[in-house]
Amino acid sequence: MSRTARTASVGIAVALAFGITACGSSGADVAADKKQTLTVWAMGAEGEKLADVAKVYEKSHPNITVKVTPVGWDVAHQKLVSAAAAGTMPDVAQMGGSYMGEFSELGVLEPVDTKTFDKKDFFPSGWNQGEVDGTAYGVPWYVDTRVLYYRTDLAEKAGIDKAPTNWKEMQDLATAYQKKAGTKWGLSIQPSGLDTVQNFYSFLYSAGGEIVNDKGEAVIDSPEAVKALKEYGSYFDKGLSNKSVAPGYDVVKDFGNGRVPMFFGGPWHVTLLNEGQPQIKGKWAVANVPADKSSVSMAGGSSLVVSKDSEHKAAATEFIKYLTDAKGQADWYERTKDLPANTAAWTSGALSDDANLQVFKKQMDTAKAAPSLAKWTEITDKVDQAIAKVTQGKASAQDALKTAQSQIEGLVK
Amino acid sequence: MSTMTGKAAQPAKVQAGPGTSQSPAAGPQERRGRKRPSMGVQNAAGWLFSTPFLVLFTVFMAFPILATLLMSFTDFGLRNVTHPLDANFIGFENYANLFGDEKFLKSLFNTAYFVVIGVPLTIFLGLVVAVLLNNGIDRARTFFRVGFYAPVVTTIVAVAVVWRFVLDPSDGLIAGLFTEVGLTPPDFLGSETLAMPSMIAMAVWRNLGTVMVLFIAGLQAIPTEVREAAKLDGAGVWHEFRRITVPLLRPTLLYATVITTIGYLNVFEEPFVMTQGGPSDSTLTVSLNMYREGFNFFHMGYASAMAYVLFVVIMGITVLQLRLLKDNTK
Repeated sequence: MSRTARTASVGIAVALAFGITACGSSGADVAADKKQTLTVWAMGAEGEKLADVAKVYEKSHPNITVKVTPVGWDVAHQKLVSAAAAGTMPDVAQMGGSYMGEFSELGVLEPVDTKTFDKKDFFPSGWNQGEVDGTAYGVPWYVDTRVLYYRTDLAEKAGIDKAPTNWKEMQDLATAYQKKAGTKWGLSIQPSGLDTVQNFYSFLYSAGGEIVNDKGEAVIDSPEAVKALKEYGSYFDKGLSNKSVAPGYDVVKDFGNGRVPMFFGGPWHVTLLNEGQPQIKGKWAVANVPADKSSVSMAGGSSLVVSKDSEHKAAATEFIKYLTDAKGQADWYERTKDLPANTAAWTSGALSDDANLQVFKKQMDTAKAAPSLAKWTEITDKVDQAIAKVTQGKASAQDALKTAQSQIEGLVK
Repeated sequence: MSTMTGKAAQPAKVQAGPGTSQSPAAGPQERRGRKRPSMGVQNAAGWLFSTPFLVLFTVFMAFPILATLLMSFTDFGLRNVTHPLDANFIGFENYANLFGDEKFLKSLFNTAYFVVIGVPLTIFLGLVVAVLLNNGIDRARTFFRVGFYAPVVTTIVAVAVVWRFVLDPSDGLIAGLFTEVGLTPPDFLGSETLAMPSMIAMAVWRNLGTVMVLFIAGLQAIPTEVREAAKLDGAGVWHEFRRITVPLLRPTLLYATVITTIGYLNVFEEPFVMTQGGPSDSTLTVSLNMYREGFNFFHMGYASAMAYVLFVVIMGITVLQLRLLKDNTK
């Protein structure tokens, strides 16, 4: 290539790289009662179900067309980042709690209109995960938390007739399952790999530990955290939990055939078990996370955000209001079994009297959301590595967390 | 555009070449009898036909390659996705940091391990299978060829499902054999020492077919006369293989080795679906590390630098292989 050609192509590359992104729209906002099309992205099962709700919504709001695009969870993050980069974010998007820090840092989210949405209407952890540095960017749509699923029939066989309430009882039950009821494992928790931390949260939070505290300091080497990781690791030392679990392992089948009698699961597991493992109907139950200092589980879920570049903010806000008020939330629960983030929705129907759901509700009251930090994925990766070292017998909990602490200190600044 | 004038002279020259030298008689005649399209029209047609390729190449190859190179000299991170101009130029800092990064060095070591064991195994087994298929079993030949080639065209997800079953320490295929004879089955993917060999076994199984097909083609290109002549001279099977087959197969061998090496240096899918790099990064390869740095943590600049280091390594090794293996043929 000649010199001019080379210079030209470099020039084009640079221009493209830096120019493509500069074209976000900044047009005027269209009033909510004008005729318009609202673009909405939602993930996984929600994406598919939301289209039905949108149709109902369109009937009562004939001037608005809601275009829902379902996005797979596996590609959701990258698609949203690309859209943010290209300035083509949809008007409304569903976002997982862990995305909030990143996307607010990207500056593509519109702060929540706090006159329309009241913090008090939602579970605190649901609201908190949409909040970054004191500003709310996401309205909680649904929440989830992890509780303990256990096989009651096998527990009976092992001579235990009540749910474990603390760490000791849980380990005793795991041992009894294996020794007396002949199960392969005692408890299914993830030994290593991406997002192992999700299983560890119940231990860490229940012991009173945290990864990063309210002041933004790394505190993963606290005595509470060390205690939690020791407990977590002991399941692997004693052969109660499987040291090697393939990525993408789904515990449901093994719970159904009795190889795994206990695991920490989310609300969606209720449906999965009812539909996929009907042979164990009535032979399992859910219980709150066994406590150390207290019983605290992780909080997850999704929020709805409005894009900063959207020209339909007024309509977007109305649509989100429709989805997150008590009525909309109860309706959403009927369609998806996603737990309502709006506490008022819990006062009627199955949500108010189903025993399993009450366990989730009780867990939600204390559940803890991860802080919205832009580098959260990277931070939890360090914790994942510490957990792996302990479960694989490579380091003590103390040493592994000390290493993680120094690495995380460099990430929170 | 200035690129056009820069390259324009070349296609014309190539076209004029064979026309004049190969058939000198036809040349002048043609020139006299028929008016050839002018240079300009010919060039324009050439450019017109190559435009689709050039556009695609520029957009999907040249631009990303250049953008990555530029990025590798910046601290391009998550924030810069929307504010690319805010990325700071930091010179060779990313590259310097790479060589102090324990994780990167480990991934480099893992990749080298994968290549050093995986390439010879793939080539050797591919050759063995090809020779067997080419010589023996006449009737079931097609069946076996398809059998060995099937893994190549199977999606990695399906492969992962099968291999997880094979390697599962509690009720997998291999575990079953161990328990049969009263031994404790090893935990292949959960052990730091066994995870990588398991990964290599899987890759060899998956890539054997490609190499086998190349060798079969190479073997069939060897003229039967040569073999017959060798047999008449009293060469045994082994002798024929060493003196006839191997030397005549050397170009294929070279090609197969080079592409397998490049493929293995880029290995990503196997650890991505089977172990996510674990346990304790023992199967973290450079490509997987790059993917995680870039798309999980958004250290785009750093990941780009990693890509270029990998590129230089691949380039170096390929050049070296071409030199070494080519010299032997003389």
